[in-house]
Formats: sequence, structure tokens, C-alpha cells
Amino acid sequence: MSRLVEKRTVDMEVIGKWVEPQSRVLDLGCGRGELMAYLVQAKQVYATGVDLDFARISACVARGLSAYQGDMTDFMRAFPDRHFDRVICSRTVHELNDPAGVILEALRVGTAVTVGFVNHGFWKNRVDELFRGRKVRNAVYTTAWHESRPANPLSVADFEDFCRLKSIRVARRAHLLGDWRTPCGVMPNLFAGYALYDLARA
Amino acid sequence: MSDDAPPPNAPAQGPRHLAEDDVGIVRPRDYTHAEPFVFKSGQTIQGFTLRYETYGTLNATRDNAVLVCHALSGDHHCAGWHSPSDTKPGWWNNLIGPGKAVDTRRFFVVCANVLGGCQGSTGPSSVDPSTGRPYGTRFPFVTIRDMVHAQKLLLDHLGIAELHAVLGGSMGGMTAMIFAIEYPQFTRRQIIMASTANESAQAIAFNEVGRQAIMQDPAWNNGDYPRDGGPRVGLAIARMMAHITYLSDAGMDRKFGRRKRESAGGESYTFDAQFEVESYLRHQGQSFINRFDANSYLYITRAIDQFDPARASGTLEQAFAPVQAESLVVGFTSDWLFPPEQNRSIALALLRAGKRASYAELSTDLGHDSFLLESADLYALVRGFLERSETYVFDFAI
Repeated sequence: MSRLVEKRTVDMEVIGKWVEPQSRVLDLGCGRGELMAYLVQAKQVYATGVDLDFARISACVARGLSAYQGDMTDFMRAFPDRHFDRVICSRTVHELNDPAGVILEALRVGTAVTVGFVNHGFWKNRVDELFRGRKVRNAVYTTAWHESRPANPLSVADFEDFCRLKSIRVARRAHLLGDWRTPCGVMPNLFAGYALYDLARA
Repeated sequence: MSDDAPPPNAPAQGPRHLAEDDVGIVRPRDYTHAEPFVFKSGQTIQGFTLRYETYGTLNATRDNAVLVCHALSGDHHCAGWHSPSDTKPGWWNNLIGPGKAVDTRRFFVVCANVLGGCQGSTGPSSVDPSTGRPYGTRFPFVTIRDMVHAQKLLLDHLGIAELHAVLGGSMGGMTAMIFAIEYPQFTRRQIIMASTANESAQAIAFNEVGRQAIMQDPAWNNGDYPRDGGPRVGLAIARMMAHITYLSDAGMDRKFGRRKRESAGGESYTFDAQFEVESYLRHQGQSFINRFDANSYLYITRAIDQFDPARASGTLEQAFAPVQAESLVVGFTSDWLFPPEQNRSIALALLRAGKRASYAELSTDLGHDSFLLESADLYALVRGFLERSETYVFDFAI
């Protein structure tokens, strides 16, 4: 397995631990359905994904997964409160037009909301920017700025502030070091490469 | 659906019915149900006939059947050729055949002309055995449900244990939905394309104008006309107008623009067809009257207008409650007759009802007829849905 693939796996494993077996899961920005396929296999969940791209939806369908092509907020608005046991927003949150709107809507349709993101405050990212003076590139975000989608990077501290501001209860946190494997005990905003949050309504 | 002549610039080919991925020469068959059939309206006929075609082979477990459902003006001939001299194949030949998206090496494909139709199945133009004359408007009112019940009798007759899938576009999608609702154990998968769970006022309005064109033609004579006669002018106008609703503004511009017929001069002060789009529509109208019965047009458009599974159940998700099929709904961006939003509603209602359902959308400029599109993306989507394995194999490869 390449390092990149390994990093994806770690992310999935943490989320997999939080997901209840046979629960109803919504994956926002589901891509080609890697996470959903894993959760269906490991936790026998009933999974639905949303993505904007036809080819990704088609790939999900070919895997036997339910996937919906369209805007994630519009999609969630079509569902009653707590329709899903868990809404997952994995490595998508930095690309959203209205991150607060999406997370709050996810908290309405989901009993729990899992958000996973690359910590922009990670020391290597800071050093990178300070010394190289360039857009951060790493094992996951490999492309130069002109080949990248618009991004709105966030840090652990940013996200903690957001949860406080919106009175969102953080049920669980997982801060992982730069290897995305080893738990990060202290100063996660500086030392965590990747962060996962399990949210609930206050 | 359009019945276009083959494109004039098509490359000269060998006999197309012999192509490797073509089902080849096919023969329609008739199934006759010799017992009384009760319609939803309560009216009864003393038996009926459905004309149908099949491609591929039913397997030993009798569970590899794929039922293809046609739209308003379609028929049972969805793939292959009736004779080597045919100018065009069945209407969904691009999708169905050996190695194609609906692979006839793997699936036993069945397609039947609907009850109420006029392509060999019993409908208003059939002879009423009790009078010896065509039923005309004495034919019972047909609903999509009636069409489905009749097709289920055919599938039982063919010995099909369960449907691997039912698929259709437009009215064919409505037919698929009713199959999944009425026969949940029997219907494993459904593909609904360019369809709706209930027509908009605009779509009903277009159908009404078509019906009025027919009924205001004196030759309609309250539906009582000889087989080779009838409201040909009214039917042609109905078809011309309906055909516009199957296309899109951009698509028509691309296909015709403001191009004029060669015979039309620069300045022509007549009402003869000058623009290519005019002669195209006239051709559509004329070819339609030679193959379609005006009363069938009234009955089937009425069935489409009435279609509203949510009405009886309260909400669409309640209507979908019995469904066990996995569903794939496909919308097309330029379809303004049954627009993407209406297709999305079907998928969303299925998901709210706790069913497994997907929605995919293709960007096209072909309007409502887009489901007949030659598109590698559409083929891959349909094939992926029909052929994927039941077990999830998790693959970390990206």
C-alpha cells in the first residue's frame, strides 16, 4: 500500500469505530464510495452518499451503493429531523461554500455528525508556509494551486471555536499526529495532522 | 419519442443486423389472455392480447429477466430488426444487445406493447368481440396499473420467477415504478429515466391540446372511425406539438437552426414548409399517423395524466413503502417535460421511505428524448447497476 492509501485507511478506521452497526449513514461528498463500501462491509450500515459529480455517482452505483447526484444541503432539506443515525463529512468541509450551514443542517437530519479534516495548524503546514511561502502540499493534497479546487483550510482551533460559537456538543475527538495514526495527546492544533470530531446537538 | 430517419451522413455499413453486438432479426409474438380482465375503473374486457418481443435466454432459475417498458408512442420492438431491409432497428437498440449495457448474453429481455396500445396489443382499435366492431371509446379507461397487471400476466406466462430489473423512460419509468410497488417480491431492481411521479400542469396541458386536436377533427367522430380512416389531421398535429416537448430549445437549434429547405427560396411568400424544422415536424406528424391509432393516443395520454401513486397513499414515500427493489433514477438536464427536479423527487421519496435508491443526472441538450441518447456515461451507469455483484468487495485501490 502506498502512503496515501494508508492514510485513507486510517481515516476510515477511526470513522468505522464510531459508526454503530446497521445504522443509517449519510456520506456528504461521498466520492467514488470508498468509505461507504468500507462501512457497509465492516458495519453493515445502510449508507447513502451525495456528490456533485456524475462519474463518482456512477462508480458508487456500480459498487451497489446508494448515491445521489446533487447539492448536499438541498438533499438534506428533503429529509425529516434525525432521519439518519450519522452524517459523515470527511475531507469535504474545507471545500464547502457554506460550512456552517451544511454542518448545522447535518445536525438536524443526523443524530450524530462526524467531521474529519486535515489540520491546517499542523506545525509542518505552518513551517511549510513560513519557509517555502507556498500553498501547502502534502501526501493528500498533492496538487499546485492552479490545479486545485478552491479550498477554505481550517485548523483544530478554528473548528473548536466554531463548535463553541454554535453550541455544538463535541461527543468525541480524535487528533492524530502527522502519521495520521498515532493519537496526539497535547497541543493538537500544533501537533495533529488530522482531526476527527463526533458532534451532536447541544 | 422521435422516429427519425437514419442520419443522412451515416457511413455506409454492412448489414447492421449482423453486427456483433446486435440481437439481429427478431420476431414479435402474441400472448393471449383468454380470461376476463378487470380494469381499475371496474370495467371488464373478455380477454386481451399483448404483442411482445424477447431477446436472450431465460436461465434455469428463471430470474435473469429484464423487462423494458416503452413510452407513450413506443412499442414492443425495442431492439433488433424485423427484416434485413429495415431502415432502423428497435427503439432502444443502442442500449440492448449482446455485450451492450443491457447485455442479452446475460439477461432475458422482454418488451411488450402496453394494454390500450395499437401496435398489436389490445386497445381501442381492436375488435370488440361482443359487437364485431372496434372498441373505440367503449374501450375501458386504462391506467398505468392496468398496463402493469396485464404485463405481469405475460411474465407469468413466460415462466419468469422474478425480474432482475424493470426499466423504462418517460411513461416506461412510470410502468417500472408501479411494478416495484405492486410486485415487490418479484421486482429486484428498477431503472426510471426521464420520468415523473406525477405530471406537472404544463405536461397535462400539452397532452390536453393533443387530445383536443384529435377530438376536434370531425373525422374522429366520437372515436368511431374505420381502421384506415380517423382523425389523421388531428393526430398529426397532436404528434407535431408533442414532439416539440420531447426536444429542447438548444437541441432544436443545433439540429435545425434557422436553416431553410433547399427548395425554399431566399424570400418565399407562401405557407409551405420553408424551414427545416417545419418539414421535420410535418414528417413526424405524417409518419406517426401511419403507425398510431388516435384513440390509443387519447387513452394512453389520459393514463399518463392520471398517474399519481402518491394520491392514493397520501405521500410518495408511503406509496413506495412496499418497494423492495433497488432503484436507479436518471434525470437529464435539458428535459423540460419531466425535468430533473421531478426525477430527483422520485429518488428522494424512495430514500425517505428507507429504500436503496440512487439518482444520477446527465447533461444533454436532447430534451426529454435524452434517455434514448447514445452516451457511454449512460451505458456505464446502466450496466453498473444491472451487473454489479451482490457482495461488497472492499478495495482500497483508488
